[in-house]
Amino acid sequence: MARIDLIDVVKQFKGETVIPKLNLTIREGSFTVLVGPSGCGKTTTLRMIAGLERQTSGDILIDGACVNDVEPGKRDVAMVFQNYALYPNMTVRENIEFGLKNRGVPRRERERLVRDICEIVDLTPYLDKKPQSLSGGQRQRVALARAMVKHPKVFILDEPLSNLDAKLRVHMRTELIELHRRLGATFVYVTHDQTEAMSMGDRIVVMHRGEIMQAAAPMELYDDPDNLFTARFIGTPPMNVLPMNLLPNLGTEGEGRAEYVGFRPEHARLLPGSADPPSDGLAIAGSIITRESLGAEHVYQLRTTAGTCFVKQFLRPYAGGDFATAVVPHDRLYFFDGEGRRLRNLRAASRPEPAAAGVR
Amino acid sequence: MAPSRADARPVFATGRGAGRPAAARFRAALDAALRIANIVCMLLLVCVFALPFAWMISTSLKTLPETMRFPPDWIPDRPVWSNYADAWNSGPFPKYFLNSLIVSSGILVLQFLTIIPAAYAFARFRFPGRGLLFGLVMATLMIPPQLIFLPVYLMLSDWKLLNTHFALILPFASSAFGIFLLRQSFLQTAGELIEAARLDNAPEWKIMIRIMAPLARPVLATFALFSFISHWNDYFWPLVMTTNESARTLPIGIAKIRETEGTATWNVLMAANVMLAVPVLLAFFAAQRHIIRAFVYSGIK
Amino acid sequence: MPMVPKRLKPYAMIAPALAVFSLFYLYPIGYMIHLSFHEWNFISPEKTYVGLGNYREMLTDDVFLQVLRNSALYTVMTVLLATGTALPLALWLNRKSGFHAFVQGAIFSPHIISLVSVSLLWSWLMDPEYGLLNGLLHWFGIGPLKWLNDPGTALLSLVIVAVWKNLGYNTIVFIAGLQSIPPELLEAAALDRSKPWTTFRRIILPMLSPTLFFLVIINLIGSFQVFETIAIMTQGGPVHSTNTLVYYIYEYGFRYFKIGHASAAGVILLVIVGTLTLGYFRLLSRRVHYYG
Repeated sequence: MARIDLIDVVKQFKGETVIPKLNLTIREGSFTVLVGPSGCGKTTTLRMIAGLERQTSGDILIDGACVNDVEPGKRDVAMVFQNYALYPNMTVRENIEFGLKNRGVPRRERERLVRDICEIVDLTPYLDKKPQSLSGGQRQRVALARAMVKHPKVFILDEPLSNLDAKLRVHMRTELIELHRRLGATFVYVTHDQTEAMSMGDRIVVMHRGEIMQAAAPMELYDDPDNLFTARFIGTPPMNVLPMNLLPNLGTEGEGRAEYVGFRPEHARLLPGSADPPSDGLAIAGSIITRESLGAEHVYQLRTTAGTCFVKQFLRPYAGGDFATAVVPHDRLYFFDGEGRRLRNLRAASRPEPAAAGVR
Repeated sequence: MAPSRADARPVFATGRGAGRPAAARFRAALDAALRIANIVCMLLLVCVFALPFAWMISTSLKTLPETMRFPPDWIPDRPVWSNYADAWNSGPFPKYFLNSLIVSSGILVLQFLTIIPAAYAFARFRFPGRGLLFGLVMATLMIPPQLIFLPVYLMLSDWKLLNTHFALILPFASSAFGIFLLRQSFLQTAGELIEAARLDNAPEWKIMIRIMAPLARPVLATFALFSFISHWNDYFWPLVMTTNESARTLPIGIAKIRETEGTATWNVLMAANVMLAVPVLLAFFAAQRHIIRAFVYSGIK
Repeated sequence: MPMVPKRLKPYAMIAPALAVFSLFYLYPIGYMIHLSFHEWNFISPEKTYVGLGNYREMLTDDVFLQVLRNSALYTVMTVLLATGTALPLALWLNRKSGFHAFVQGAIFSPHIISLVSVSLLWSWLMDPEYGLLNGLLHWFGIGPLKWLNDPGTALLSLVIVAVWKNLGYNTIVFIAGLQSIPPELLEAAALDRSKPWTTFRRIILPMLSPTLFFLVIINLIGSFQVFETIAIMTQGGPVHSTNTLVYYIYEYGFRYFKIGHASAAGVILLVIVGTLTLGYFRLLSRRVHYYG
């Protein structure tokens, strides 16, 4: 178990700044997921923690000790690579014990460790096979076993599930969560897939262009995003964001001036175009352009004068015609300023009559 | 050669000739004739390369008078195996053979020892002067032994190394070609593997020997074939660097038979030549694909 | 390597190879240039500085001029025949069947045996009295030819041997080049109803040009350095008709012990080989082909 601190970390590549200034604390024993679109600096951050890349400036601390000048092999971290990086000329056993050998662990001890680990990950029958003859899931397990056998303080996982097929990926997710619970070590996990992040992490760090947009627990990110980027990055379909100036019947009270308003597709309700909208919510009328049914949930795309938005209905599909009104309760609206910052102190207020007629 | 492929034609012919069976049959016959002609031409081509070797073997089994018949016969009246014994006994052949073996394998071992670390360093590290040093290595690729034998001879003579195995081995103790090939292969190895090894606390030499070199095994094998055969066959360098039997190699020994046995004893000479060439040819046909690849490698990429 | 500081590690790894190259390739070049300005018989302790004397002597020497001419003639003929024949052969033999592999192996086989074998074999094949070649010609009612023994045909005979030895290599390299052409290109051409000749000229040849270029250079450089066949088959004769550069250097160095003179000839060979390789890389960097 270890806590990781990144203090004022800057990374430049050939004069280009990839990470301007990063301050991040990864709590001990947490399952922290770094998530963001490709090129957001999440993998670079991960590699700097592992010691595979050196930060241009700033400090990295593991358990309070500065590891800037510590070789990757001596940081007490283990890594699972995207393509597993199994040594192709070694058997499963040799792969797993390679790190132990390099640390001078005696043979007896090594054998015991390998045996124990292989039982945990179900690899015992494959110990003397070469990686080429294993399936994707088995290779994944070897990569995990190789990391686990060293009993590291920190596990680093770089998109470890991206090469598996969809079904196996879901299965491995639960296995990894289970593993984290059992080992109690700190997990740092990188992915670009927000569903994966939400389902696995107990703490999620959303990154964008080398900066941390928000670091919080999954539901906190979902319910209470700090900014437009996080709001739109988390959730499928993403949060609908409409410019305030196209919604003349929506007013605000409180501090600040909102430029954008957002709502989640699942918080809106679709009513037939002819029905009277309730007064305690935002009503946007438009025409349905796509309907997508996934059985338990139904997603509609609605074209309105303020822009296109998604609406998600559960269990019962919307039965009305193509003209419909989406209604969102006022307390489910999120307001953002021109820079995309969340305005938490703003509340919605209906602006009565004259303007309301303008929306159709 | 898709456009000129002959077997595309029958399809065309049957499609069109359904109503004209005679024409279709003619087409098919023409096709078959062309195919046979093609094969005959290829066999003739093979003859151009096989007949000289056959002639060599035939001569090696003739008596001296038989070699002096014109026009020549292909089959000797009675095979004379003693030509081989005569050839073998005309010089210290076990010694030549041993020398060839020592020189060719000595070169190969030293080459492996020098090119693996060098290629690894060029592929893995960034360091000041890397481009310049690599350019220097590549420059020697263009300097053939025929260009520098005279000064090297003088140097080796100063060091009293002429007529030793060192004179035949040391100048080839490294290979720019090998470094080039191997570096290319190292560059293609996934960086993740090296990083995994670094996280596994592996020292640099272990990454090189245990992970990178095994992955480059096909390239190393290719290079080894090329290097061994080339130096086994080499005549020029041993000729220049030796003046007595102490380090002379097989090709020199065979060429020397001409001086000891006289120029006209073609039957003995060809027997010696069979001993020199046939093992290599047999090895070639046994591992044709690999050997061709070893020699052609430099041609692609 | 534990004792070597980290920053010096790459240098330490390159050092052995570099030592070999410097000692046996780079330094000798300088030494040879140095020697070419001196007169020395290899035995006397003194080297006499003669400036450009060796070069002047050489360029007024009729034999040397003939040597240059022979080298050029031999090279041009060998390259033209060995690469010019290889391309149609490659087009013909480029198929992946067992029989084709056998034919390819057969024509490649001379390339892997020693030049000593080849030279001895062809000396006998070209024997003016009892050789097989004259036997075959006799069968057609031609000959007998004197081959290596006639100043008029000796050089050409050596060219034939060189072509016989190198043709297979060139053909196989061409085939490798042909096989690296993406088949979709040829299929696209076929769909565009391109005639075979047009396909060859507009697609195959341009895609093959780096290979062609590589082969021409390799053959050029190799032919300029021809030695073994000459040393074994003709010793430069008859009357200097097959004397070429490397053999000339060899004779002046090891038979006449005129080290300075031999070195000067070596420098000339260096200039020729250097120009060819530099030209090759120059053109290569300008890229001979590649898509558009």
